[in-house]
Amino acid sequence: MTQVALRNVYKRFAATEALRGANLELEPAEIHALLGENGAGKSTLVRVLYGLVEPDRGEVRIDDEPVSITSPHHALALGIGLVHQHFMGVPALSVAENLMLGQHGSLARRHAAACELLERYQLGLDPDRPAGELAVAEQQRLEIVRALGRDVKLLILDEPTAVLAPSEVELLLAWLSGLREEGRTVLLISHKLTEVSSLCDRVTVLRHGLNVITREVAGLDAAQLGRFMLGEAPPPPGQPPQTQPGQVALRLEAVRAQGLSGIELELRSGEILALGGIDGNGQGPLEQVLAGVRTLHSGSIELLCPPLALLSGERERTGLVLELAIEENLALPQAAHRHGFLSPRALRGSALDMLQRFGIRARPELPARVLSGGNQQKLCVARALCGGPGVLVAVNPTRGLDVAGTALVREEIRSLTASGCAVLLISTDLDEVLELGNRIAVFFRGALLPLDPAHHDRAEIGRLMLGEGAA
Amino acid sequence: MRGWRSVLAPLGAIGIALVALGLLLLLLGADPLRALGALMGGAFGDRNALENTLLRMCPLLLVGLGVALAFRCGVWNIGGEGQLYLGALAASALATRVLPDAPALLLLPLVVLGGALAGALWGGIAAALRVGRGVSEVLSTILLNFVALLLVAYAVHGPLQEASGAYPQSDLFPLAAQLGLLPGTGRVHSGLVLALLLPAALWFGLFRTAAGLRLRAVGLAPEAARYAGIRPERELVRVLLISGGLAGLAGALEVSGVTGRLFENLSSGYGFTAIAVALLARLHPLGVLPAAAFFAALSTGSGAMQRVAAVPAVTVQLLEALVILISASFALPRRTD
Repeated sequence: MTQVALRNVYKRFAATEALRGANLELEPAEIHALLGENGAGKSTLVRVLYGLVEPDRGEVRIDDEPVSITSPHHALALGIGLVHQHFMGVPALSVAENLMLGQHGSLARRHAAACELLERYQLGLDPDRPAGELAVAEQQRLEIVRALGRDVKLLILDEPTAVLAPSEVELLLAWLSGLREEGRTVLLISHKLTEVSSLCDRVTVLRHGLNVITREVAGLDAAQLGRFMLGEAPPPPGQPPQTQPGQVALRLEAVRAQGLSGIELELRSGEILALGGIDGNGQGPLEQVLAGVRTLHSGSIELLCPPLALLSGERERTGLVLELAIEENLALPQAAHRHGFLSPRALRGSALDMLQRFGIRARPELPARVLSGGNQQKLCVARALCGGPGVLVAVNPTRGLDVAGTALVREEIRSLTASGCAVLLISTDLDEVLELGNRIAVFFRGALLPLDPAHHDRAEIGRLMLGEGAA
Repeated sequence: MRGWRSVLAPLGAIGIALVALGLLLLLLGADPLRALGALMGGAFGDRNALENTLLRMCPLLLVGLGVALAFRCGVWNIGGEGQLYLGALAASALATRVLPDAPALLLLPLVVLGGALAGALWGGIAAALRVGRGVSEVLSTILLNFVALLLVAYAVHGPLQEASGAYPQSDLFPLAAQLGLLPGTGRVHSGLVLALLLPAALWFGLFRTAAGLRLRAVGLAPEAARYAGIRPERELVRVLLISGGLAGLAGALEVSGVTGRLFENLSSGYGFTAIAVALLARLHPLGVLPAAAFFAALSTGSGAMQRVAAVPAVTVQLLEALVILISASFALPRRTD
C-alpha cells in the first residue's frame, strides 16, 4: 500500500513553472531518494508535502485518503517531518529543551521524555549542553531526533550530507537504515549519486518539474542516474588552469578575528587558491574580514593588486539589490567609485552584453527580483568578473546553478585566472575545490590546513576537514 | 504596470480618505458635497486663495523633497521642522545682524544660502551622531527639533529681537534681503520658481547619476550595497546634509519671502506635514509636487470650509491623518517581493 502519494502536481511561481505535473509515491519502510538538478523542482515538491507551498493543481494522498496539507503544523500532525540542511532549533537552549520545543507537559516530564529519546536513538549527547555548542553533524542528528520525537512516519531530509565530512556521512547513512528497520519512511534529497546507489531502495528523478523515472535503485549505477538527471551524459570534470603564478596579489598575515584563529595566506596573480572545508569553520568570517565588515583583532591584510571583487556567499543579503533594475545592479561597482551621470543607453548596452555572455535571458530594465535564483547567481558572477578585478574572492560561486551554468562559471573563473587575476575560491563543494584549485587548503575551526600538493584527492581533504593531520 | 501603480495608489488613498471624510460629515449632519466645494473654493477659488495655496506649497515641497530623498536612502529624517527653523534663524541672523549692510546683489543669495547651510548643519549633527556613536537618526532628528525651536525662541527674545523691543520677533529684513514678488502676483515670492525646478533636478540626480544610484542601493539593501563597494555611512551623511539643506532653504525662503522677519511659530508644522507629503508621493521627487499642492490646498481650504459649510476646520486634520495612514499603509513602495 502506498503511504504517501503526490499526483500530477503543478506549481507556478511568477515566471517559472517549478512543477509541471510531478508524481511521487512513497511506500512504508523504504528509503526513497529524490534526485534532480538545481531548479528541477525537488524543494518545491518537498515544500508541498510539508505544507509550506500550496500546489496550483494536483492531489496529495496519505494512506489513500486525499488531504490538503495547509501548514507544517498540519504536516507534523499527519506524521510528516522535515529536517532542514541547517540547524533550525534554538542555539541557546539545551539539547533536551530543543527536543521538546513546542511540546506540552511539565518541565520535569519533558526533560525525562527528551532523555528517553536520546537514549533510544543512542545519540551520545549531553541533554543539558546548549545546542549551539554542538558540532554541525551533532546538530543535524538532534534535528532528526526532534522530528522522530513527534512520531513522524515520513522523514524528509534536505541534502543532509552537504554539510558533513565523508566519515560523518557514513555514520548518518547507517543511522538512516536503522530508521528503515523501525518501519519509517525516509525521503532523501541528494545530489550525491553514490549515496543514492548505496543506501536507497527506490529513486525518483525530477527534471524541469516532471518526474523522469521512479524505480528500484538496484541495478542502477551513478552514470545512469546522472543521465536521468541531465537528459544527457554529464560533462567531464574540468582541470585547474595551467598558468604560471606571478607576483603576490593578496597577503593575509596572522589574521585573527571572531571566528578566525590565525589565517595565513599568500595569493599570487594567475593562480586559484581553493579553500575547502565544512561550512561553519571560518568561511563566513574570512569573507567578512575581506569585505571589511568584520573587525580584525590582530594581523594584517595586504591587497597588492587592487581592485578586489567579492562574490559573496550570502546572495540574499549581500548579493544583489533585488528592487533595482538588472542593469543598475551591474553598474553598482562602477557607481561606487565615481561621480557624474549614468547614461541609460550605456547602462543598457553593457548590461545586454553581459547578459548574453552569461546566458541570462531577461530584459535589463526589469528588477533583479524577477530572475530565478540561478540567474541571480549568474548575475552576481557576471558583475564580479567584468570589473577587471586584480583579486577575485569567490564564495560558493556555483551555488544554485545547474550543470551548464556551473560549467560556464567555472570556465569564466579559469579564463579570468589565465588573464592574470588572482582568485581565492572559498567553497564547500569538494568537487569544485578539486576542479579549480591550483593549491588547496582546508578550513578547520577558524584556521587553514594546507593540503600537500602531492595528495590532491578526496580522502586527504576529508581527513583535513575533520581536523586530522592538524599540527 | 509599476508606473501606473505608483500613480494610482496615492490617488486611491486620497479617494478613500475623502469618502471616509464624507461619511463622517454625514454623521455630523453636514452636507459633504457642500463642504468639499467650500474646501476647493478656499484653496483655489480666487486669486487670493490660489496665492495662499502656492505660498504654503513652497515649504512643503522643499522639505518634502528632502524627506523623500532621505527615506529613499533608508534614513528616517523626522527633523524637517527643526532644520527649517534653523534655516530661518540663520537667514534672519545674516539679514538683520551680520550682513545687513552688504551689497544688495550679494545679500539675498548669502541669506538664502546661509539658511540652507544651517539646515544642512542641523541634519549633519544627526548624521555625525549616527555614524560616530550609533545613535538612531529617528531619535536625534526628533529631539533636535525641540532644540531648534528653543534656539529660535531664545534668539527672538534675545540677540535677534527687534530694536524697539516690543515683540519677540526680529527686525524686518532690509529690502535687499527680501525676495521679490513674482510679476502679476500680490504675495507670491520668486523663491517658488526655485522650488518648482527642484523636483525635476532631484529626479535627474536620483535616477541619472552615480550618486543617485548609490543612494537608492543603500536604501534598498545596505549590505548588498556595501559588498558592491559603496560605503553606506558616507551616503547617509550626504543625504542628511542634502535633506537638512532643503529644509533650511525652505526656512530661509519663509522669512525672506513671506514674513520678512523671524518669530516663533513661523512654520505651522511644515516639517511634519512634509513627511506626509513624501509618503503620499511614494518618495518620488516628481510626485512630491502634486502631493505638496494637495496638502497645501487642504490647509488653506479648511478655513473656508468652516465658514461656508459650518464644518469644524479640525475635520481637515482628520482628512490629513486619514490620507497619511492610508498612503503609509499601502502607497509606500514595497521593499520585498
